[in-house]
Amino acid sequence: MQRSQTLGEILDSRGVSRRAFLKYASYVSALMALPAGSAAAMAEGLAAARRQSVIWLSFQECTGCTESLTRSFSPTLESLIFDFISLDYHHTLQAASGEAAEKARETAMAENKGKYIVVVDGAVSTKDGGLYSTIAGVANVDMLRASVKDALAVIAVGTCAAFGGIPKARPNPTGAAPVDEIVTDKPVINIPGCPPIPEAMAGVISYLVSFGKLPELDDLRRPKAFFGETIHDRCYRRPFYERGLFADGFDDAGARQGYCLYKVGCKGPVTYNSCATLKWNGGVSFPIQSGHGCLGCSEPDFWDQGGFYRPLSTSLRDLGPALAGAAVAGAALGAGAAWASRRHQAAYVKEQAASEGGKK
Amino acid sequence: MTLAPASSHPHAPREAPALTGMADAVLAEVAARLEDYAETGRAATIELTAMPLTTEDRAELEAWLGRGEVAVTIESAGHSEIWETRFSGVWFVRHFGEGDRIATESIEIADAPLIVRSHPADMRAAARRLAALCADQSTRTRRDA
Amino acid sequence: MTLLDFARGPALQAALIIFVLGAVWRIVGALTAPWRLVPANPREGALSPAVAALKGVFVKMWPHKPFQQAGLFTFVNGYVFHFGLAIVVLLFTPHILFIKGLTGLNWPGLPSNLIYMVAVITGASLIAGLVHRLRSPVLQLISRNDDYLSWLLTFLPVVTGLLATSHLGARYETLLALHILSICAFLIWFPFGKLMHAFLFVFSRGMTGVRMGQRGAEL
Repeated sequence: MQRSQTLGEILDSRGVSRRAFLKYASYVSALMALPAGSAAAMAEGLAAARRQSVIWLSFQECTGCTESLTRSFSPTLESLIFDFISLDYHHTLQAASGEAAEKARETAMAENKGKYIVVVDGAVSTKDGGLYSTIAGVANVDMLRASVKDALAVIAVGTCAAFGGIPKARPNPTGAAPVDEIVTDKPVINIPGCPPIPEAMAGVISYLVSFGKLPELDDLRRPKAFFGETIHDRCYRRPFYERGLFADGFDDAGARQGYCLYKVGCKGPVTYNSCATLKWNGGVSFPIQSGHGCLGCSEPDFWDQGGFYRPLSTSLRDLGPALAGAAVAGAALGAGAAWASRRHQAAYVKEQAASEGGKK
Repeated sequence: MTLAPASSHPHAPREAPALTGMADAVLAEVAARLEDYAETGRAATIELTAMPLTTEDRAELEAWLGRGEVAVTIESAGHSEIWETRFSGVWFVRHFGEGDRIATESIEIADAPLIVRSHPADMRAAARRLAALCADQSTRTRRDA
Repeated sequence: MTLLDFARGPALQAALIIFVLGAVWRIVGALTAPWRLVPANPREGALSPAVAALKGVFVKMWPHKPFQQAGLFTFVNGYVFHFGLAIVVLLFTPHILFIKGLTGLNWPGLPSNLIYMVAVITGASLIAGLVHRLRSPVLQLISRNDDYLSWLLTFLPVVTGLLATSHLGARYETLLALHILSICAFLIWFPFGKLMHAFLFVFSRGMTGVRMGQRGAEL
């Protein structure tokens, strides 16, 4: 497969017509709620584009993101994305190739200078020069800096790459940092989630490839098309919240009725993601539909929110002892004030009596 | 192949009220666009996939539009079902993804949906292939002779 | 740390500690302070101090006849926002969860939509109270900064709560954080200003009852 060929030519040589592009483009533009009619433009853009070189760096991660993205599409419409990209380097998938893989990364960078996309999953260790996570003897932080130097854009996939995630959770022993703290001079797109929704990843890359620009992002650099609304806003259990019908536990009558999970710690109201609409495993379900509250996995510091089962409206801290102490201190202050007042009064009465006695 | 049940639609809310009136709104939109197309020739697409339509809403809309004379199936990157509704120029376009799940669904107002038409690039490639086939055939005929 | 983390964490902790410390300080101080009663024998036929105290607390819950016409708005409006606040604070499920988190106590809540309605009425009633205060020359004379600050710190949680539930003006998590921070401000000011009447009104009315009773005055 030649790099100079357009995607249209590549698929054509396999007997796949432009209809496949149009179909894929309708699928992506529906996912991203693009204006009607943009599917045709996207299809033309995709067919005219070259295969997008992608360098995938895996740092402090669990491979869950890679699993989510590579195993979610069977070979039909959705999997076309894998024909549009050229995965020139993927540390985890290529681990057995050793030096040859590192060489492939360098070659891809040189050949596609200024045009390749760097995808990162996992947080970046920065403490002590980043020595807590290295690949081929190179610290992650150094490999990231070198890899993004000539990149078109960087996509931080998963909450660890986007916000630091679990490696950055207290006490953050490795000094884990999100990608956009290290990459400051290239466009960074965050697609958080633990793991992220595969359609969001496919949508963003397709958009980049066909239109040659970034999709609209929010203040946390997340594509608005997938992170524009909260889970709570689009949750099918929302009517129960409004009606005040809640599950008090995971096995009570309310839970069996499918009531709102706010009381058992659902973080849906403060979590921006598309789980409630796109769902998981080909639209089968999502956590709330399966009876568990949202963990808020696509939000920064979701691991340190005081517990997954702590309702959103409660204090993050255990205040019992502090408040008991405050009550005791308050009582002591009050009693002390009263005692001082009594003494003062007694002294005053005595003084009055003495001065009246003196007058007589 | 039969259509997947509408309940498998990725955006269908599970326990929402049956009919929300959204189908009426879509129908009004279709009518307006069709009138516009008949007068000016401006084609239009109404994307249904992400609309908050319930399963019942979708069924109602589909029933109202009905089926006309033309039905097309496409096998390219998965299966697609396309049919002209009872209303000339109003097409229902449904693409299936993995596991016969509806990936996208839209109503196109046009003389024929874009995806049914042959793309110029495809036709150029086809012409080359066909020419090659002809050349191949003629050499074979000569050899046989 | 996000604004919401700050609000739910250190801000709420500090505010609650100040609230408990200050409120207990003032209640214990008031109860253990010397009772300044007139050093005289009670009048003949005077009510016993206990009965007088109870009458003092409850009889004052509705105005005496001569004041009913003039004070009608103050009384009715006062009841509206006090009951409104009680319903919103004590019967909205997220609030119940907050209280349960602190005390372990739990009870059923009302539907959220009903709470929104009550909160709107409460907010309107608070505004009406402020307008009345600003337009009345007599109330102007006896109003201090404390009154306005106490009003503001009561009003803000109502408004921010309504904004948060209706997602108006900013993202929900920001509005929720502002709502919690407004509660923090309320809690911090509570023991040191007129908001403390929520605890002290029982004692001050009871004490007035005892003093009046001792003198044989009608309650």
